[in-house]
Amino acid sequence: MSVEQSGAEIWRRDFVSMGCPCSIQIEVQARERAEAAFDAAIAELDRLERKYSHYRDDSLLAQWCAAAGSGEALEVDAESADLLDLASLLHEQSGGAFDISAGALARLWAGPRETLPNPAEIAQAMATGGWQHLIWQRPWLRLQQAGMRLDLGSLVKEYAADRAAAICREQGLLHGIVELGGDLSVIGPHANGAPWRAGVRHPRLPAALAAIELLEGGLATSGDYERGLLLDGKRYGHIVDPRTGWPVTGFASVSVLAPNCLVAGAAATLAMLLGVDAGAAYLRELGLPHLTVSADGRIGGTVAWVDPDPPRL
Amino acid sequence: MALRPNPLLAQLLAASAGLVSSAAVPAEPVAADRSISYRHGDYDEDALAQAPLDGSDRRYRVRTEQFRLLTPAGEGASLSVDLTHEVMSGSSPWFSVPDANGQPLQVMSGASIHDRRSELGVGYQRALAGDREFTVSASYSAEDDYHATAVGLEWSRPLSAAIELGLGASFSHDRIDPTDAAEFGRIAQATKNTWSASAGLSFILDRSSLLQAGLQLTRSSGFLSDPYKRFFAGDRVLNEARPDQRLQGSLLLRYRRALIERDAALHLDGRYSIDNWGVHSHTVEAHWYQTLAEDWRVIPGFRYYTQSESSFYAPFASVGELGRYYSSDYRLATGGGVSASLDLRRQFGAWDWVIGLERHRATDALGFGSGNDPGRVSYTQIQAGFDFRFD
Repeated sequence: MSVEQSGAEIWRRDFVSMGCPCSIQIEVQARERAEAAFDAAIAELDRLERKYSHYRDDSLLAQWCAAAGSGEALEVDAESADLLDLASLLHEQSGGAFDISAGALARLWAGPRETLPNPAEIAQAMATGGWQHLIWQRPWLRLQQAGMRLDLGSLVKEYAADRAAAICREQGLLHGIVELGGDLSVIGPHANGAPWRAGVRHPRLPAALAAIELLEGGLATSGDYERGLLLDGKRYGHIVDPRTGWPVTGFASVSVLAPNCLVAGAAATLAMLLGVDAGAAYLRELGLPHLTVSADGRIGGTVAWVDPDPPRL
Repeated sequence: MALRPNPLLAQLLAASAGLVSSAAVPAEPVAADRSISYRHGDYDEDALAQAPLDGSDRRYRVRTEQFRLLTPAGEGASLSVDLTHEVMSGSSPWFSVPDANGQPLQVMSGASIHDRRSELGVGYQRALAGDREFTVSASYSAEDDYHATAVGLEWSRPLSAAIELGLGASFSHDRIDPTDAAEFGRIAQATKNTWSASAGLSFILDRSSLLQAGLQLTRSSGFLSDPYKRFFAGDRVLNEARPDQRLQGSLLLRYRRALIERDAALHLDGRYSIDNWGVHSHTVEAHWYQTLAEDWRVIPGFRYYTQSESSFYAPFASVGELGRYYSSDYRLATGGGVSASLDLRRQFGAWDWVIGLERHRATDALGFGSGNDPGRVSYTQIQAGFDFRFD
């Protein structure tokens, strides 16, 4: 963890949370106020990681999964209930492609591996999932399938970015930006009212694809480059279609700008899952500014916020 | 972010609203927008419960027009200009006399008062380094018989991430030239000075609540009597006489809580005041800010007030009882009241329309024993106007 001052009054802290490089920048005169906000925001991120990590055995998520197949109905806290409500809506909006019950599948493909999983492993992971086995009637959650693993990973990081930004605002800090592994949540514009500039990285090149100016809200990118497997020149990302058991192949990355990072991330993940045609149609219908790069390198989306001269493959 | 409304996005935003909301307690930054506001107010006092012995029973009515301009004034600074014009009419309690049972009977001022008051106020607010902020203000108010000049200074700074300190000081110099002074033996001209100092701390309690605690000390000196109030003392009617110094201390508590799931906010305010005239008072206020669909906001409110009488208050006295100071002003008597209010706001783009009604009912004092000053006042107040923000 390092703390440095960049610019006249912009304080920055870099750290690692949820397995990603993260940073918070705050523009304020008094360093101790920025430091207090960094500490409070990181404490909130730690809380969310402890609660929702699917790598930890002591997380709330792990407790739910342990009860899967027992027939027990779990009473869920308000925050988790809101996340489950959102997950239900995304399941519905995606026609079933977005499915948090497919955690075993996500784990199978995301885990460090050098070969493709064999069809039996995929079939076994798929068998533990299935939305029809997840009975959600707020505040009661019942996981009917033994071995079911929930995966809130596609929501929690973006939600955490928004929470970290909210914590800073609650402390009266109105100028700053939170970045969690490429997902951004704006605390507020620069003190002089100017927007923050952020780069969206190209999924295939070590370069920025676009420079975005952000005054408010969130920017999230979902891509096949973050974690995944490259075999014989073919890329297998970590975003898996629960209906096929295989990673999606249409888009290399989708970036979305939204009133908050949570919605931006949800929209980006849904578009990835829906594929090039249906995904682009979904983003157009949502009306959120977005930028897509398809697996074959074509750049699409609303061009208003794209650099006039993006790098080409 | 201007987004085209569509059901898909509306669903997503609604589903995320419980999780991520920027509706947490907002810090109030120096306003950078330019806006104008206008309010029309009509304050109307009820007729006396019991007909006065003499004079009109038509009490005070005040119609107020208020304009406010708020504009940026350079980097991190804003300037406000307030103009107020009031037209006052009606009569006011003059003194009271004992009836056959020794109960006070009100005598009202004979002629109906017609007066106008105009006030100009200017404020300059500026953000300083380290999130410090200061405001300077000045105002001048004039009516036929009364002129008031006031200046104020406020300053605030954060002590920690969750605590802010605010300090303030103000001074006012008032000059009174009573009308018909010679005819009624009133003082021909008098002045008073008022100094006030305040200190407060704001605590951010959690992501949706805020507590402010403050202390205020006010010292007034000079001619503190009301030159139009008389006092009945046996066989004579005298001009009331109050001490020429008053020291007042107040403790203020404010609590703000945003109820994000309900799209509402609760404001609770409490005030306890005590002074060296023997008056102590409590005020408790509650307001509920509820956002309804279509940019409507409804704000019901409730206020409870009670005070004890000053050491020199009496509705009347016999000559032998007369001390150095005496007043029968109902505002120094034991008394209290409850108010209910309802404000309605509707936003149309840059316009914010406001209409409000308040009903205040004087009661026998609650909490400090019973008062029976016949002059205690119930009133109805209506306010309507708009705020307009320039882009």
